Amino acid sequence: MTAEIRDFLLESLTEMKYPTDEIDEDTVLGPAGADLESLALAELALRVEDRYGVRFEADEADAFAGLTVGEFCAVVAQRITASAAT
Amino acid sequence: MTTRAAVTGIGLVTPVGTAVGEVFDAVCAGRSGLSAPPEDHVLRGVVDVAAFAPPIAADTVIPAKEARFVDRSIVMALRAAEDALADAGLEVGRDVDPYRVAVVVSGVGGLDTLADQAVRRSRQGRLGVSPFLLPGVLPNMAAARTAIKFGIRGYTSSVGTACAAGGQSIGEALRILRAGEADVVVCGCSEAPLFPTLVDAFGNALALAKGWPDPTTASRPFDRRRNGLVLGEAAGVLVLERPGFARARGASVHADVLGWGATTDAYHPTTPRPDGSSAAAGMEIALRDAGLTAADVDYLNAHGTATKAGDAAEAKAITSVFGAAMPPVSSTKGVTGHMLGASGVVEAAIGIAALRHGLLPPTHNLDDPDPSIDLNHIRDKALAAPARTVMSNSFGFGGHNVSVILGHADA
Repeated sequence: MTAEIRDFLLESLTEMKYPTDEIDEDTVLGPAGADLESLALAELALRVEDRYGVRFEADEADAFAGLTVGEFCAVVAQRITASAAT
Repeated sequence: MTTRAAVTGIGLVTPVGTAVGEVFDAVCAGRSGLSAPPEDHVLRGVVDVAAFAPPIAADTVIPAKEARFVDRSIVMALRAAEDALADAGLEVGRDVDPYRVAVVVSGVGGLDTLADQAVRRSRQGRLGVSPFLLPGVLPNMAAARTAIKFGIRGYTSSVGTACAAGGQSIGEALRILRAGEADVVVCGCSEAPLFPTLVDAFGNALALAKGWPDPTTASRPFDRRRNGLVLGEAAGVLVLERPGFARARGASVHADVLGWGATTDAYHPTTPRPDGSSAAAGMEIALRDAGLTAADVDYLNAHGTATKAGDAAEAKAITSVFGAAMPPVSSTKGVTGHMLGASGVVEAAIGIAALRHGLLPPTHNLDDPDPSIDLNHIRDKALAAPARTVMSNSFGFGGHNVSVILGHADA
């Protein structure tokens, strides 16, 4: 599941005009790494919601800035599982 | 006290070019910016004629990752601002304290992008709306993004007076400089109305020219057969400075803004007051503000959009103000189309070029002047005449009347 989420993340970043060449599991999504700012994080959350039918609150999207790619994929996978269980 | 403002930079994006000389040559020679919509344009099949400015890739003025939902009006404004500041040779922070620079850049905002997102919202629901929508479309964003791009940290605003907004932005800039609130003002207007919803709004209001097989003949200010305006897109930005500040930094001055006047019709949301009395009062206020009389004006660039009612009301206003002292008058919209609020800035730039070159552009397509309009028309070809003072009129839906007076830099 996380591999698919990772592919989706990279595809999304490309569509959002962010370079993905140097992104790996340990790249942080926010300014310290991929450099997504607040509106870009909101768009990423929206794309995940659209794709996987889960919901994020605004503060959760902001918190993506501190996550690495690996952590982000794990959080999304967990959310999908939790959502499927309810 | 500063009574005038020095124009030190001009940036234009228009249907007849992006360099002032190119634009001025076009309006003087009658090289039309009007055409049928190109094959791949969204207006193909929607309207017969419009005035299209050159395409500008958004990522040439804004970082690519921010550029996807930024409306064309903002993109054009940023290109014009970039060119105007380059023309002025002014770098904010190096040549001027960022807090002593103001921005007044106007326009109706990104209605095309808003309309597109509204369609996506109705198709996809909440998830169809981009979080980037507001910074891409709000009417203050041309000004705000100009400030962001160039590190300008003083006063910023945008004027919402429809087609009078460009002229009013110049007036507002003069007021800011006179009040001592800034040393430099980046002022202008940008409009991108060429998308189906807005074109249909004008068309259904019976405001658009129609029935002209040759699109270049469709915009006919003051002509007996005129039957409406031709919509155009454009951006114009001027850099205005306190004259002493411009002198001290050795800037080259194109012309001076001498004064301005603004009034309101208080008559109807779209139809101008038929006797032109409020427009006339605006011109008189501008003359007094500049310390001039009607006889001092050497050329008048009319608003002249080629609507029946608008041209007739403006002509009455001009006649009542100038009478026997009427200067040569033309509307350059026969060549450029009506670029809404941006017209006031593009036409001020044309007025500045007229002052510099001693050449007054004609009204294109004025083949058979309306006999009920009594103006001192410039027809057929440009008129060589040394000009020291130019008046430029702009009027907007809502009944907004703005007149700006420009003077030769050596006056």
